Amino acid sequence: MDFWLSYLTLAAIYVLLGLSTNLLVGIAGIFSVSQAAVFGVGAYIVSYLLMNDLTSFLPAMLVASAFCVLLNVLVTLPALRVSGDYFVVTSFGIQLLATAIFTNWTAGTGGANGLPGIPPADLFGKTLDDSKQLVALCLGAMVLGCVAFWLIMRAPFGRLLRAIREDELAVAAAGKNVLRAKVSAAAMAGAFAGSAGGLYATFLSFIDPSSFDLDSSILLLTMVVVGGARTLAGSIVGPFLLLALPQVLSLIDIPTTIAAAARQLIYGVLLIAFMLFRPQGLAGEKL
Amino acid sequence: MLALQLLCNGLATGCALGVVAVTFSLVYSTTKLFHVAHAGVFTLGGYLAWSLTSRGAPFLLAFVVAIAVCAATGALIQALLYARLERRHATHLVILIASLGMLAVMQNIIAAVYTPNILQFTLPWASQVVAGGGSVRLTVIQVLIVAASVAAYGGLMWFAHHTILGKQMRAVASNPFLAEITRLRPRRVHVYVMAIASAVVSVPGVLVPVDLGLQPYNGVTPLLTATIAMIAGGVGSITGAFVLAIAIAELQNLSLLIIPGEWSIGITFFIFLIFMLFRPTGLFAAVR
Repeated sequence: MDFWLSYLTLAAIYVLLGLSTNLLVGIAGIFSVSQAAVFGVGAYIVSYLLMNDLTSFLPAMLVASAFCVLLNVLVTLPALRVSGDYFVVTSFGIQLLATAIFTNWTAGTGGANGLPGIPPADLFGKTLDDSKQLVALCLGAMVLGCVAFWLIMRAPFGRLLRAIREDELAVAAAGKNVLRAKVSAAAMAGAFAGSAGGLYATFLSFIDPSSFDLDSSILLLTMVVVGGARTLAGSIVGPFLLLALPQVLSLIDIPTTIAAAARQLIYGVLLIAFMLFRPQGLAGEKL
Repeated sequence: MLALQLLCNGLATGCALGVVAVTFSLVYSTTKLFHVAHAGVFTLGGYLAWSLTSRGAPFLLAFVVAIAVCAATGALIQALLYARLERRHATHLVILIASLGMLAVMQNIIAAVYTPNILQFTLPWASQVVAGGGSVRLTVIQVLIVAASVAAYGGLMWFAHHTILGKQMRAVASNPFLAEITRLRPRRVHVYVMAIASAVVSVPGVLVPVDLGLQPYNGVTPLLTATIAMIAGGVGSITGAFVLAIAIAELQNLSLLIIPGEWSIGITFFIFLIFMLFRPTGLFAAVR
């Protein structure tokens, strides 16, 4: 039973990350392999604030989200001003830089050993230390995220983003600011990823750099690609399916030394196979 | 004296990075693809050479086999993956994701076969000191890396300007549509370009691990540095990419005097930010 609860909680957190990646990659059409870095920044900020008893859970989440929004705006603005391919470089760079910071800035992040003993989340003065309450919190956040995503995509702003994917030039000719729309999408992606990071840190009460490296970014991209780009359903299906994969793999007898490599290999194969045979994913739209 | 030693190390790494940058630039300017999986090809070469030499094959044979296999891998990636996607009018983003998938596949097959740990690629002759003037050490392999890289760069330049295939490559790069209607068959040229770029990138791919060791995920950072060198040098300028790669590697190495080595990715990225903000077209773009 405990296994199902933790699976559900993690899946809820990854749905938030899936929404974030979908906003950036699926909807704004920006290739990104640095979503895990933003996720990590959110996680570390929330841990720092909670461990030093500076704020309670909700303000910490707000600070983390705000910081991740700022980070994503700062990162996307100069690169997108120039060209989409420059953002590929930026994105790889941010991811590698973030991993370097998470691993080497021992004073702030605990280095490669990670940060143990992150206090559990609290809501309005009540500490949520029961796993059922945590599931409820994460599922609540997930529902909130999904509703926000759905509302955004229905709003004129969502239609503008869709239009940019169809024909960027036409949108620009119609007098819309394409760059601003893309950067706003990236900013929202930052907010989603940052709050997912906070939930992740308080749920596991331990974080280390390995959860926020390039491989995790590839996993996030795989979730969106498998689930399907640009739709709410896609962002939900992908995380639930791919988080079940390690459990399925543990049924097959693979030596532990190559288990991580085998998992990443499957993600790679999935990326290629879906791009070749079903670029819209299981429940998405044309990528 | 330390500074001089760092300059020498920087020259060796820089030349190797230069070849990565030049080959990446060749692919990028001809096929217009951001070929992320190039990092996988780079890593593959080293592992192939390592497993052949550790089974008793002479280094030269292992080197040649690695180059041939890498060339074939590059050609296959183009023919079976990129060309297929292009025929279906896949967007740039789709091809990029497929390329990232390819990188993940190559890296993790290597990690599954050879374990993800660092492998030492030691050859007795390679670590001998050539010029030990004072406290500066220069090993045989470092000299070899510089010589081979400069030769690879020169060879590629000569090839692009003085052979029929090289001229076809440049024609396809400058105007794919015109190349198509003059029956240059761009798709075929793309396969050749990928084969050549993959063969050439395996030269530093084999030689650098002899100096620094092998690790399955070690290709990404050199590729990132190389793409930054390509952008800083001006996209389309082969010389620009090569020169800037050396400059970046020297800066990285000199920065070791003041900043610990684990932050060198920060230096690289900082250089990229400066270029992106002040000269996004790169240094040599105007000369083209």
